[in-house]
Amino acid sequence: MKNAGFILLTLLALLSVRADDSVSWEITPAVTGPGQPFRLQVRIESDVILGPADRVGKEIKPPRGMALRFSGQIFRSGTTEATLNFSGVSPDAEGAYVIPSFNIRFPAKMIRVPEITLNVSGTTGFRKDGQARAELELPDRTFYVGERIPGAILLRGSEQEFVSGSFGLECEAEGFSFQLMSDRAQPLDNGQGLVTAFELTPIRTGSSELSLNGIMLIQVGVTSAFSTPSRDRPFTFRRRINVEHVPEAGRPANWNGAIGKFLTDTVQLSNLSPEVGEPIRLRAILAGEGNLERIIPPEIIGGENWDVIPATERRRRAEDQRIFAYTLVPRLPGKLLTPEIRLATFDPETRSFNQVVFAPQEVIVTGTAPAKVDLVKIDPGAGANGATTKALAGLAPPKPNLRTALSSPVALIQPLAASKSFWATNVALFTLLSLSLGVVLVMGYLSAHPEILIRHHARRSCRRAARQAKQAAQAQDPAAFARAIVEGLRVGSSALLQAEAQALTQRDILRVLPDAPLDLLETLFQAAEGDKFAPRPTSALLTEPACALDLLARLEAKL
Amino acid sequence: MKLKFLSLVFLLLSILPVVAVPTAGEVAYAKGDYAVAVEQWEEQGRRDGLTAPLLSALGNAEWKLGRKGRAVLCWERALLLDPRDTVAIAGLRHAQTAGGIERPVPSWSENYSAFLRADTWLIIAGISFWGMTLCAALPKFSRKNTSPWYQRGLVTFATVLALSIPGLWGAHTYAQRAVVRRADVALRLTPTSQGEPVSGIGEGDVVRSERGFNGHTRVQTAEGKTGWVRAGEVEAIWGGGLPANLDQKAAP
Repeated sequence: MKNAGFILLTLLALLSVRADDSVSWEITPAVTGPGQPFRLQVRIESDVILGPADRVGKEIKPPRGMALRFSGQIFRSGTTEATLNFSGVSPDAEGAYVIPSFNIRFPAKMIRVPEITLNVSGTTGFRKDGQARAELELPDRTFYVGERIPGAILLRGSEQEFVSGSFGLECEAEGFSFQLMSDRAQPLDNGQGLVTAFELTPIRTGSSELSLNGIMLIQVGVTSAFSTPSRDRPFTFRRRINVEHVPEAGRPANWNGAIGKFLTDTVQLSNLSPEVGEPIRLRAILAGEGNLERIIPPEIIGGENWDVIPATERRRRAEDQRIFAYTLVPRLPGKLLTPEIRLATFDPETRSFNQVVFAPQEVIVTGTAPAKVDLVKIDPGAGANGATTKALAGLAPPKPNLRTALSSPVALIQPLAASKSFWATNVALFTLLSLSLGVVLVMGYLSAHPEILIRHHARRSCRRAARQAKQAAQAQDPAAFARAIVEGLRVGSSALLQAEAQALTQRDILRVLPDAPLDLLETLFQAAEGDKFAPRPTSALLTEPACALDLLARLEAKL
Repeated sequence: MKLKFLSLVFLLLSILPVVAVPTAGEVAYAKGDYAVAVEQWEEQGRRDGLTAPLLSALGNAEWKLGRKGRAVLCWERALLLDPRDTVAIAGLRHAQTAGGIERPVPSWSENYSAFLRADTWLIIAGISFWGMTLCAALPKFSRKNTSPWYQRGLVTFATVLALSIPGLWGAHTYAQRAVVRRADVALRLTPTSQGEPVSGIGEGDVVRSERGFNGHTRVQTAEGKTGWVRAGEVEAIWGGGLPANLDQKAAP
């Protein structure tokens, strides 16, 4: 009984295992290129007879950018297997794209297809049309004279067409030098094609057309030992290229023609503890991408501590390095630093200049200094016989305590012209002198022309007489009024007639003021001086004082 | 007679150079310890004042230490105090030929003014101006006929004044020089920190400074290139004593 139960349980377990549906899928090609068509095949094995699937693809929701379409199914009646084919186009961007799980409805049951992942990569050689093709890799920018431009021709194969070789590569371009980097084309990293690398170097400015022609060998279909169907396919590239000189704006003085991206690798010294006078070799290794072989070695200045002798240099082409070598001879003992090596470079992509600096290296120089250190710099451009072309120079021995009475010490080197007190004193003296000179000149002029002062005094006397006359008129004193008027007229007329004032009569006044009323003048004179002879009534004078005052005003105007 | 003789002897003694006992700075310099020599001479300069020989010696020591900017500044200032200081002249010539220092070529008026100090030119011009003025003004004060001596003095002072004017102009243009104190200074097209670099000038190069604007100074290099540099990157040769310590922040 127990055995029967065990057998029954085993059968039930087997039945339950058979109840699982098997779903597998395959994408061709396994890795697709961006925008490339692909084929998806889904194979299903079930425990029941499946029959034809219905409404396939209704539930499929491909990821964004992917097109996926049900293209057909294979099934046989009475079997538990079914094969469904889908065709699609991969997205344009690289990456892994997941087709979500979806259901397929058969007459007997519904089967769920799990998630399917599609890998899209740009490195694949497959393309839409499946044909082999050539691509040109060349920077798309303005180039510069003397620049090293790396380029390559990529011959990409496909599933249907395999690129087996290339020949006849020609370059037609004026103003460029063209050089292949290797004799034979090298295989691509993914093994589906070939690459031919080359270098271009512009040798003049302007716009010119670059033309690259060649032929690639293609094998079509399946190859065998007895038949290798192949064909030649030519390719041609034409591109217009602009070439300029390296800009002068911002170009450092120490730019020696380096164009590209460089960095300092190492600085090597042959001996870190030489003796005085023992030459050592300094090797500065420059690495990077650019025209390494065209760079003029930078000059370095030894200063007081080193003699610098240019040395031969070598370049290891395989590692894209350039070595600048110098021979240094220490002149003094002690802890010295090698001269700094500075190189200006031009980056054609950022259009900017950079400075590459090899840092000074510390060297401990042993030995003793010569009795007299010659501070004259060795001229590297001198001839082999030692004849120098430049004038030699050196520091003179200092004499800091040399004193003369004419060179007194100062705390601040300030020019006298910046002293405010200096200029203030000079300006004050000049102003004083100018004023004094002006006074002297005015006084001299007045002494030469005395009539100016006489008339000035006469005007003042006239004004004073007019004021006194007005006061007398207000005080109803006709005698004082007449005396003031007569006094003013006499003083004013005397300045014009150059006569003695007290000696003038009314007739003399008429010479100065011809239109003055004689009666009024006589009345005024008699009133002013009548008391000396015989007094006369003078009260009538005050009836019209304005007429008498008008005489003074007219006389003052003439002065 | 005896008094005149004594005066002449005193004058000769005052003009003749006086060499004192070697100081600690000189001893250190002779031993090759240039850092100590600089310290000693700077202390001496602060204590006793600056002279042309002291500044030129300081320039030599700074040059030995590789501080080009300070060295050239010391030599230039030594020449301001004594245009014929042989140590400073040799140092600047050495810096130009062996050290790669760029220095503007002096104009004819600057060469003319180098015959005397700038202050001496100004004093000569001032004396001649006042002499000429007094010779012209004194006859006016005296109200007498002009004496022949006044005429001769007027012509003499006017001649001296005319001869001193080129010296004054040369001293004025020479005073506009400045020394680059920083390494790898960019000469910019505009007085802004983002201005396009036109060219580069190195430490110790002498430039002609013009006007200032926006924290920058417009300078003209020895090659004739004109541009702007930051005000702290150059130091004028006039108006200072010892070279400024650029590592020390300025007082607020």
